[in-house]
Amino acid sequence: MQVGLKIWRYDAKTGDRALKEYEITAPEEATLLDCLDIVKDRHDGSLAYRKSCRMMICGSCGMRMDGGAVLACKTRMYEIAQAGHVPVISAMGNLPIVKDLVVDMEPFWQKMRAVDPYLRPRYDQAQERENVVSQPQMDVIHKESLCINCGCCVSECNSMESDPDFLGPAALAKGMRFVGDPRDGATIERLERYSEPHGLWDCTRCYFCNERCPKGVDPRDAIAKLGAEAMKNGIDRDMGARHAKWFVTSAKTTGWLRETELVPKTQGIIASIKEVKFAMGLAVKGKVPPPFPPHVAADVHESRALFDLVKAQGRDGAAGIVQGERALGRIEAHHEAAGGRDPYNEPDSAPRPFLPSEREESEGVAAT
Amino acid sequence: MKKVAYYKGCLASLSAKELDISTRALAPKVGYELLELESVTCCGAGDIHEAEPDYYLHLNARILSYAEATGCDTLMTVCNVCTLNLRQANYQLQIDTGLRERVNDNLEQVGVPRYLGTVEVKHFLWLIAGESFAELQAVAHKGLKGLKVAPFYGCQILRPSKLMGFDDPDKPTSLERIIEACGGEAIDYPAKIKCCGFPIIQAREDTALAELIQPIEQAKEAGADAMVTPCPLCHLSLDAWQSKLKKKTGKDFQMPILHLSQLVGVAAGLTDSELKFRRHVVSVAPVVEKLSV
Repeated sequence: MQVGLKIWRYDAKTGDRALKEYEITAPEEATLLDCLDIVKDRHDGSLAYRKSCRMMICGSCGMRMDGGAVLACKTRMYEIAQAGHVPVISAMGNLPIVKDLVVDMEPFWQKMRAVDPYLRPRYDQAQERENVVSQPQMDVIHKESLCINCGCCVSECNSMESDPDFLGPAALAKGMRFVGDPRDGATIERLERYSEPHGLWDCTRCYFCNERCPKGVDPRDAIAKLGAEAMKNGIDRDMGARHAKWFVTSAKTTGWLRETELVPKTQGIIASIKEVKFAMGLAVKGKVPPPFPPHVAADVHESRALFDLVKAQGRDGAAGIVQGERALGRIEAHHEAAGGRDPYNEPDSAPRPFLPSEREESEGVAAT
Repeated sequence: MKKVAYYKGCLASLSAKELDISTRALAPKVGYELLELESVTCCGAGDIHEAEPDYYLHLNARILSYAEATGCDTLMTVCNVCTLNLRQANYQLQIDTGLRERVNDNLEQVGVPRYLGTVEVKHFLWLIAGESFAELQAVAHKGLKGLKVAPFYGCQILRPSKLMGFDDPDKPTSLERIIEACGGEAIDYPAKIKCCGFPIIQAREDTALAELIQPIEQAKEAGADAMVTPCPLCHLSLDAWQSKLKKKTGKDFQMPILHLSQLVGVAAGLTDSELKFRRHVVSVAPVVEKLSV
């Protein structure tokens, strides 16, 4: 097939920048990475990009196609070429470009190092017996463990674009990988550190990281899990945490958000006095609803009772989010089954594998 | 007239009443009778999802249950954040029957009907850009007279796309189609799918403002007369925080920001009392003047 590519060429040493167009012949199964190899081998040997495994494991070939971060080795070109589209290929965002499609990953690794991306065991001497971690315990950090450090999430992070010091989705997801690990002994210390400025409460919930991650890590969900674990452990001094707490208070007292009190509850009385002039400007337009009498939802006693009931059941912290992942994990399977081929439903196909949760259920049944 | 359960959420009940009023006025014109849910609460806005995730799930299940009790198959939202929270909880409850049983047992204990999972959560944008697009075209007769409108989607109506799925998350078209159906000209600019900064506007104002300035500045440079958004949180930051942008950067954009229901409402001939433009912080007068000529 004929594939057209427009590639942003850049040289950090000279500052030269140019959008160059290439027209190549490639096999129909070619990925973007295969196409770049063809460009480099047969058309322009000066093109710079990173690659290694070619099979979505090493995380080297993160780059942007039409402005969105992708793994070049995961991106098939057939449909794009068939549609006659010539995509624009450029280096990832939020990281300095060294040359063409190669970025300097040092800021990425710096943040990764800042979260202590290794197990800090509960014990300081070798144990006599092996530490066995159950499947349900590992399920808590399953998605976070899939990260290949490609940087696609960091490339698109809206908060980091505005605050380069933000720890960002990859490092925080890595942090959750250890906060959620039952063998790790530094949970509180980690949560304290990740809750500092430029940490977990700086996430703007734009969900670009979940959208772009080629491995299904869902870093935004990992950040929410860290927030939940921090709250569970009483680490809630940050304004972001206080903001979140006020929503809970609102829901169980009046049902609706008590908007007018949100600023003092988040920022504190002293800081919010500075906001008085701004608030007056909004009040003139009816944007500051009076706190009294409060706007109370009908039957709000039900949501109060629900809160007490749910709290007594002990699914605090990340467990409350993890319980929903079984369903979210199946969304893709559900969509594929609806629109595409089901590889386990064909003659001579391999037996359908169990999901971990199903296996537990079936083994549980077998045991009883 | 199709009956839909209507969940207006916190902002449309409080600081963004103009969104509720214009939605109620517009909905019957495009074929919807709104059944408002009275005994429902806040969806949690991502904050309760983070602070008390299990409570988040139950709060949203309760809303879905009351929507189901109306007999409608659609729960209509007018806010991106409500849409994501409700759709996420709905997927989890629909697909994971074990989880639904547990949540239902709890709902039942406090007197809420069990949720069977029959409701679909849809944003008003998806209804009028989708199944009711013909009705929209029919009522938008008064037209926007070539008004240049910059669509601003906001985050949580596009991403995560596996939960949303109406628009292409990178190349959405629903707002553009609506603007054009109403006789306006849709302005294209890169930041239309990015974040307005609202979730951290109180805790991290500098970061939030640096996010917020991008869409407004780009829309202004592209020649937009106004911006439109389907989310009252985006609306609040784009509209009310322009004064803070001015203070911080010296740039006074004076960019009118319209709720989706107001933009379509103008084209469909809604009255002043149904549009409530006077509740906006940045004056919408230049837009009104342009359209009345």
